[in-house]
Amino acid sequence: MSDDPSHALESRLISTGVERLALLGKYAEALMAGYARDEVPVETLSTTALNRLLAARILWRPDERGGVKLAPKVRELVAEMLADESRRHVNADVAETLELLRSLVQSYREARDGGEYWRQEQQLLRLRQEVDDLNGRFADAIDSLWRRLNGDFGFVSRLGDKIRENERAQKQIVRLLDGLALIDFDELIELVGSDGALRKLLVSGLQHQLTQHYTSLREVQRRLVELMARFRQQQSRSRLVAGMAGFLREHPGFVPGNYARRGEVPVLVNQATPLVAAGAAALDHHPDSRALTELLHRLPRPVSRPAPVTAAGVAAPQEDARVAARQQALKEEVERFYLAVVDGDEALSALEYRQAGELEWDEEIWLFQVIAEFQGLPRNEQRAFRLSQQETQASPYNHLRLIHDVIVQLA
Amino acid sequence: MSEAIQPAPAGETERSEGHELGRSLVSHGPLIERLLAGEFICAVSDEGAFGHLQDDVTREQIDAYLRPLNRRLATNHEGSVVFLAWRALDEGAREQLSRQLAETVNSLLPLLEWLQLVQEALGRDGPAAPGDVLKPADFSSRCEDHQGLRERLERLASDPFFGSQSDQLDAQLKQVFKRLKEHGYLLQPHADRQYYLVTAKVDYLIDLVRFIRDEENLPVDDQAPSGQESLL
Repeated sequence: MSDDPSHALESRLISTGVERLALLGKYAEALMAGYARDEVPVETLSTTALNRLLAARILWRPDERGGVKLAPKVRELVAEMLADESRRHVNADVAETLELLRSLVQSYREARDGGEYWRQEQQLLRLRQEVDDLNGRFADAIDSLWRRLNGDFGFVSRLGDKIRENERAQKQIVRLLDGLALIDFDELIELVGSDGALRKLLVSGLQHQLTQHYTSLREVQRRLVELMARFRQQQSRSRLVAGMAGFLREHPGFVPGNYARRGEVPVLVNQATPLVAAGAAALDHHPDSRALTELLHRLPRPVSRPAPVTAAGVAAPQEDARVAARQQALKEEVERFYLAVVDGDEALSALEYRQAGELEWDEEIWLFQVIAEFQGLPRNEQRAFRLSQQETQASPYNHLRLIHDVIVQLA
Repeated sequence: MSEAIQPAPAGETERSEGHELGRSLVSHGPLIERLLAGEFICAVSDEGAFGHLQDDVTREQIDAYLRPLNRRLATNHEGSVVFLAWRALDEGAREQLSRQLAETVNSLLPLLEWLQLVQEALGRDGPAAPGDVLKPADFSSRCEDHQGLRERLERLASDPFFGSQSDQLDAQLKQVFKRLKEHGYLLQPHADRQYYLVTAKVDYLIDLVRFIRDEENLPVDDQAPSGQESLL
């Protein structure tokens, strides 16, 4: 008997709902423009369309003279669908849901006691939907929190904004946890009594889900606090670095106190001189001598030095051994000069080196050999040295240049 | 206590406790050698060794070992880097520390400017922090797009601390990274790959800057302007 009007109501709701949902698709572009900007561009909508959107409460007009805006719920829906973290709302609204659950349980009981089977089913369905909604709201909120956390709040670009977003997220968590605390399972147990279906829905099922939410919220809260500490550290560091750099630029002559002269030297300043732990072969420990002998045997044999390549003289069919020996000696002196450059790590003047070492070679021959040795090096070894010639122009009338000295240094 | 920890002479006192401790020190030989050579050990430069240094017993053993060398283990405020400090400060040590401090102060501005440059060029939230990955290639692409950054890098690279004489961007970057590596602020995990890790020695640098600021009462603020949050 009572089925007909209820069914009629239901089918009317469904057809209106379908009609209005379709409006969302039909005017999606205008609506998204309204989401992205402040107002919906009404000029793109016909008067009929605008009126239908207003009637469906998809749009609203905050005041008579102002423009048309997206209704808050629609804005939330879009933010939710886009996971747009800058605008997603977190709202579990537990108190109201609990209020609703209590009254639904009451009418469910009345229907059951009155034997109204269909109405009882309807109430159970509403209860299930409300519990699902409550769960969904927590799950959504937690999802949104995790997304923001994992993205390091990347949807805002400045660190200051990230810190504020993080604070906002932490406050949301506190509200969500407060909401969870409102759910008193003792009360729910009493409320459902001995009804199996209700007990499963409102006690065991809900408890299981809420425990999970609680754990997730605690975890996300812990991580947010950690991230906040990192944000704060970064903020304080970048301010310190920028501030100190600015100060030092403004005060180029700044010299801090000599902390090393204090009675108690600050920990940070006390840094011991590096010490190289050297070791050498020792023969005073008998068992080692065999190992040392082996090492000695394994030493690579000194390669015999290749004979110097000298340009063949025009009339030198029989090279004078004495000249060759002197040439070799000169070459070796020059090699020692290059080794001194390598060891000394600073620029060396070829002539000063010759003088300091009291070498007997003629200046010109010495310089010639230094340059020749450099030019005789393989290209990759040449690159290790920088050779600069100190030279002057011999006369203003030609391009002849005289080399006075050669400075060699490591490149 | 400390006498028992001295490394036992090889072949003697096989069963003594001192030998046990001496032997466990042997495994830390390479670590001690690196510390003696002046290295800063952190979780980035050597996670394993840094982990061992968190252990009180190991630290006590190493300290006891270092005692005759007049050295001890030291850390920065947050304990993220370990290095060696003088145990007793004689005149020579103070002389050396004064020189070292003067050098550090001279290198402060180029290092701070580098930290700022990294933050701005790479669009990061803060200055380079331990574990951050830096690639010279990222800098060169940013600098090519941005003349201001290019000029700052050029100025920085030619600072005596970095000492680049080249006018080529890549050579300047190479020199900057090389010097930072030499000074232990960067680590290059693979010699043939151009990416670097920031070590916790930057923590030490930041601590030192904060320390100088506090000691000298410099007008340098590192807190966000107050009142900003209370408005919310």
